[in-house]
Amino acid sequence: MREGFRKELKQLKKSVLGIGRDVVGVTKEAVAALVDGDVDRAQRVIDNDDAIDAACLGIEEHSLEIIATQFPVARDLRLLHSLTYIVMHFERMGDLAVNISKAAKRTAYRRGPQTLYDLIQAQGNLVHRVLEAMLEALEKGDLELSHKLPELDEPIDHLFKQFFRELARIQDEDDLEWASQMVLASRYLERIADHAVDIGERITYMVTGQFEGAYEEEEA
Amino acid sequence: MTDTLSQSTSQAAPDVVAEEATVKIRVRDLDFYYDDFNALTGITCDIKAQAVTAFIGPSGCGKSTFLRCFNRMNDLIPGTRVVGTVLLDGQDIYGPDVDPVDLRRRVGMIFQQPNPFPMSIYDNVAYGPRLHGVKKKSDLDDIVKTSLKRANLWKEVKDILDRGGLTLSGGQQQRLCIARVLAVQPDVLLMDEPCSAIDPTSVQKIEDLMAELKSTVTIIIVTHNMQQAARVSDDTAFFLQEVMGEPAHLVEFGRTAEIFTSPKDKRTEDYITGRFG
Repeated sequence: MREGFRKELKQLKKSVLGIGRDVVGVTKEAVAALVDGDVDRAQRVIDNDDAIDAACLGIEEHSLEIIATQFPVARDLRLLHSLTYIVMHFERMGDLAVNISKAAKRTAYRRGPQTLYDLIQAQGNLVHRVLEAMLEALEKGDLELSHKLPELDEPIDHLFKQFFRELARIQDEDDLEWASQMVLASRYLERIADHAVDIGERITYMVTGQFEGAYEEEEA
Repeated sequence: MTDTLSQSTSQAAPDVVAEEATVKIRVRDLDFYYDDFNALTGITCDIKAQAVTAFIGPSGCGKSTFLRCFNRMNDLIPGTRVVGTVLLDGQDIYGPDVDPVDLRRRVGMIFQQPNPFPMSIYDNVAYGPRLHGVKKKSDLDDIVKTSLKRANLWKEVKDILDRGGLTLSGGQQQRLCIARVLAVQPDVLLMDEPCSAIDPTSVQKIEDLMAELKSTVTIIIVTHNMQQAARVSDDTAFFLQEVMGEPAHLVEFGRTAEIFTSPKDKRTEDYITGRFG
């Protein structure tokens, strides 16, 4: 029954996962460019963003075509609706990776205090862990894993706060300007992880048909 | 009787039992038999007033049989038997003092094939009221006009009322049949695949009509077209015969919007997404 339609949905999900992996890739590259002060690497991330945007738009268009022609319902409808939302998150995550890369270009002219590099790298590693878990949860429809995402996100928020504390110690004005760029980058990283947590809520809806927020209100 | 009813109410799943004030038809533990064959079993549900309820399910799942229980049309088939309760506005329609003919006035029916009588458009609509004793020409004129207006057919036929009903197009004939039913002021309208034999424009007109009529008439529609069920109904009931030869039953009953986005039962989900049936 409706084999062609089913294949199309499967292919669409595969494409969305592909974009997700690209987003993980550019996030990793942006952090590396920042930590290494590598301007070329940062530029490659910036240049790649149009391709991610186009791929996201392609998914949205394809979803609309399927809705218009196939009248999907129930789990098929939830899958399509969720995938459209998820690529919107991916698109914004890609933009944040671009912002980190721009910060990398602005800070590459000099080396700052090593503590801040270490902090941003540690934060980057944690964000990478959240993104990988989110992609796995999406691929497998794994509810346990999608519910775990907020927990994985927590230390990232802590590191962002620690960044501020480090910033307060800096006295030199040159250092301060440089460090403010690093703080912004840290903030962008934290936002990328937040998007992953939101995607986790979409995955829960996709699988169960229940909105996470509504769930919590009912239980309260 | 009251005890039995309250007991069965408490046992029923919460989503199939509605608030007292909004219930038009209350079904409790209904089983239906064609001779020895138990076609439907254990049906408990509440059909809401001023709403459209859709019955969906694969062929042979008993949805039309169940629909015909509401105006005792099955009585006309020898060897059929109903066990359980069907209350219309609180009255047991299978009670000893119920006149099936009067019941069928209150619970009108529209079939898959439009079936106008071989007489004029006017006489088709006036047939029921005449049968119920309306004789005055001006009264009949009013009823015919109002009924055709309610069926969204008046504008198309007002100048050809004396023309034969069978000369109309299929979609117009179906609306004429709806006008004929409305002329006797029914409380409930049963529609058994009313759009399967007509063109898409007429389908649209009948769907619009259902939305207009539901404020005054409770509508129950059997349809094989799931998009139609999703478009026109407030509640949806999904029936299924899981094993050939075994009775069919009501798998899920709920708000249409919920059934078509997040059905609770996997069998409903598999059916509406086209994974079987």
